[in-house]
Amino acid sequence: MGTAIAGLGLYKKTPRTSFGVFASVLKARLIIISRYKGSLIMELFMPIVFAALPIMLGVSLASGGTPVAENWKISSGTADFRAFMLIGACTFSVVSLMTWLVGFWVRREMVTGTLESVWVTPAKKYLVIGGVTGYALIRAFTAFIISFLIGSLIFGVNPFQGNILIAVLFIMIGLLPLWGISFMFGALILKVKEANSLINMLQWVLAFFMGVYFPVTVLPGFLRYVALSFPPTWMTNGVRASLLEVGYFFEHWYIDLAIIFVFAAVVPLLGYMVFMRTEKRLKKNQGMGLY
Amino acid sequence: MKSGGTAHRGFGYSDHSRKQNFFTFLSMTKKQVIEFSRYPISFVAEFSQVLLIVGMFMFAAIIFIGEGGAGLPRIAGIMMYGFVLNMFLIFVLWEIGFSVREEQYRGTLESLYLSPVNKFSNLTSRIFAIVVWTVGMVGIALVVVNYYVGGLPAENVLLALFLLFFSITGILGMGFMAASLILRLKESANLLLNVLQFFFMIFCAMFFPFSALPPEILNTVTRWIPLSYGVDSFRSVLVGQSPELMALEWEIVVVVLFGILSPIVGYYLYRRGERKARLKGTLGEY
Amino acid sequence: MPRAIIKVQNMSKTFISKERKKFLRPEKREIQALKSVDLDIYDGEIFGLLGPNGAGKTTLIKCLTTLLIPTEGTAWVNGFNLQKEENLVRASLGCMLMGERGLYWKLTGRENLEYFGALYHVPKEKRKERISYLTDLLNLQEFLDRTVETYSSGQKMIMAFAKSLVNDAPILFLDEPTVTMDVHAARELRRIVKELNREGHTIVYTTHQMFEADELCQRVAIIDRGEIIALGTPTQLKKSLKIQDVVNLEGVIPKGVAEKVKAIPGVKDAVIKDVKAGKSTLGVMCDNSRKLLPKIMEVLLENEVQIEYIQPQDITLEDVFIAKTGRALSVDTSEVPEEEKGGAGGRV
Repeated sequence: MGTAIAGLGLYKKTPRTSFGVFASVLKARLIIISRYKGSLIMELFMPIVFAALPIMLGVSLASGGTPVAENWKISSGTADFRAFMLIGACTFSVVSLMTWLVGFWVRREMVTGTLESVWVTPAKKYLVIGGVTGYALIRAFTAFIISFLIGSLIFGVNPFQGNILIAVLFIMIGLLPLWGISFMFGALILKVKEANSLINMLQWVLAFFMGVYFPVTVLPGFLRYVALSFPPTWMTNGVRASLLEVGYFFEHWYIDLAIIFVFAAVVPLLGYMVFMRTEKRLKKNQGMGLY
Repeated sequence: MKSGGTAHRGFGYSDHSRKQNFFTFLSMTKKQVIEFSRYPISFVAEFSQVLLIVGMFMFAAIIFIGEGGAGLPRIAGIMMYGFVLNMFLIFVLWEIGFSVREEQYRGTLESLYLSPVNKFSNLTSRIFAIVVWTVGMVGIALVVVNYYVGGLPAENVLLALFLLFFSITGILGMGFMAASLILRLKESANLLLNVLQFFFMIFCAMFFPFSALPPEILNTVTRWIPLSYGVDSFRSVLVGQSPELMALEWEIVVVVLFGILSPIVGYYLYRRGERKARLKGTLGEY
Repeated sequence: MPRAIIKVQNMSKTFISKERKKFLRPEKREIQALKSVDLDIYDGEIFGLLGPNGAGKTTLIKCLTTLLIPTEGTAWVNGFNLQKEENLVRASLGCMLMGERGLYWKLTGRENLEYFGALYHVPKEKRKERISYLTDLLNLQEFLDRTVETYSSGQKMIMAFAKSLVNDAPILFLDEPTVTMDVHAARELRRIVKELNREGHTIVYTTHQMFEADELCQRVAIIDRGEIIALGTPTQLKKSLKIQDVVNLEGVIPKGVAEKVKAIPGVKDAVIKDVKAGKSTLGVMCDNSRKLLPKIMEVLLENEVQIEYIQPQDITLEDVFIAKTGRALSVDTSEVPEEEKGGAGGRV
């Protein structure tokens, strides 16, 4: 319509500058976190502490004469309850990292006021979010590997048993649905201002149902189905089954992996949709910058 | 000259009587309660979280003991009673530590300092509210688990409550100490609280018997933390076993001393930390 | 006739605010932050948006920068439709909206500029060039490579300003850019704004400091309660009052006196402009203050007013505001709850 047109300054939309958006967001995240060294170290030890609690319980029961390892084998398929707990705790820390990194990224930027700064740029949202989640994926994956290795050392677990390649596959593909879940959390945070405790709780819901400390097969009927509807449950069991002898849900690793694949295809899309819808609604009413 | 030679014209509307001190404490507690009530979601969420964590441990314990294995109530008791102290520790640490930090961040800390409020009631009013809340949560968690395992052991309840009381006051002191550090640490406060939380969780054997800790750690770390005796005695008295660290009489002495001395030392440290912050002008900084 | 580069058509914005009167029972309230605003901002001008807190300035800017979706109406920016071509609208703008907020504290200034440059799709080589250009223009050398958390508040403002220039957009939105700057830095910023304008940038500038608007803006709009109540060049607006001068009287002035002064024939308006330490400033607008002064004094003395200082003054934009609204600018008219105003809360 009738306004003057004065060009777009230095804006140049090419595939290269679009990739630049993604890369810059990823890079900025990595720089920022590298300036919080303490938290990074803490993050590596968190899963080890989580694993330590039930392991210590098991150890002390064993020293009191309870056949702990045998009992564990009956329920889970493996006598190595240390490795079982360690894998559970490490996958849980991945889940928690993903949900916090992506979900709380939004919240944090709201508080610092950078969310508005980002939102007024012509950068496509999916590129920005892609950068943030790319960063989360990198961080979660490295955290898993390092924590698992350190934990193995501390608890005397052999980290190189079973089929490592399949385990890595399960982690990597299992991260993708988490991505989607974290979007939904992000949307929740946009909407409910004091979402911290809610997210915290949801995280423990996931922890409970993904079977951090016990095989989900011991859950009573209905709860077991709830557990199986959460993607992280499949990821945890997949990693455990490929390293220990706990058995896949569907006998063969590729069937379990295929199911995670389906989750990976559907959940992120769903999450992104929910997130964008919430954003739109927010802009209709109050705006992004409030604190 | 006591007044430094200046005239004195009263304090305006500011009243320094003991009665008014009490009312100040009340109105600050009220502010806390109102702040809690603005977040009903947090109430429910925190509560469910507690049950979920307990549930996770219980499942693990049940599998460890095996189908029909004896001793589930005992082991559940050891875990739950340790868990009770753990809850108080976590809530006090986070509440004191975090609200100091939060107010520093929002700038309300400075405005609080501008009013001549008794600094002690500032901290205690916060905690008062949270302790009441924790008692409620822990109570319900105990009831649920009690039902689930078919009766938790509860031998000497009166002595246990006595020990619990002094353990809590001792924990409050630890909260003050943490607050004094947080005034200085700012950004890394979160980290500190996390580390502390897990440190005590493991080294005070809150979720498992002390026998699970290697003897070296028991002797070099655990025995030096007063809270360990709180955990040990509280739990032993309820489960009906002899304590693992020392004779019961001695543990009681340690716990009572901890409960009395820790708040005093903690408060002193907090005031010192605050003075330092005022000297450096970091009170309103973040 | 200059051509518009921003065209606002019939834009309204209604907030639904929930008030918490009783526990768990929020009450809904509608607040009209913008009421059918029509506005043209011309290509190549510095356009000032004036108004007290909560008048709708920030809401208008947030709508135009795509942060808020207007309830009704639309706008065209740089030839693009606000709702249909969001990203092209964004690409046309450089924004400094929240003062020193909006930067990453854990990144250095340079890293911030790199980051936002990328988000504006500025090619990598161009970004480098641009950053070094801005470094010279705004004297950033000294703190460019330190993390933002170490900056003084003035330095943060300059960095935020630099951020708004990183994509060299044809249109700049500057929302109270000088608010936490010292006098010298603020003067420097205004100089640069003028220079950018000479280079052809259109600048939308909000401020509550009338002298700033007087000095900078070719045209200003005064917003009050969501409506544009005056629009024109500063000179036009001042002339439109059809009065010759204003007298400011400072002293202890009891309530109700302003009304009595207003009743004096020949006085157009009388408003308490400012209250400081128990002393008020009464601004009296009239056709000829020298002639009316004895009359005014008489009324004041009758009402036991203690006058300490009398100063005749040229008409300012603030007087225009007073004449249009009957209120002084410093009176906060915000109906929108604090949080929705966004940005630094404590602005006066």
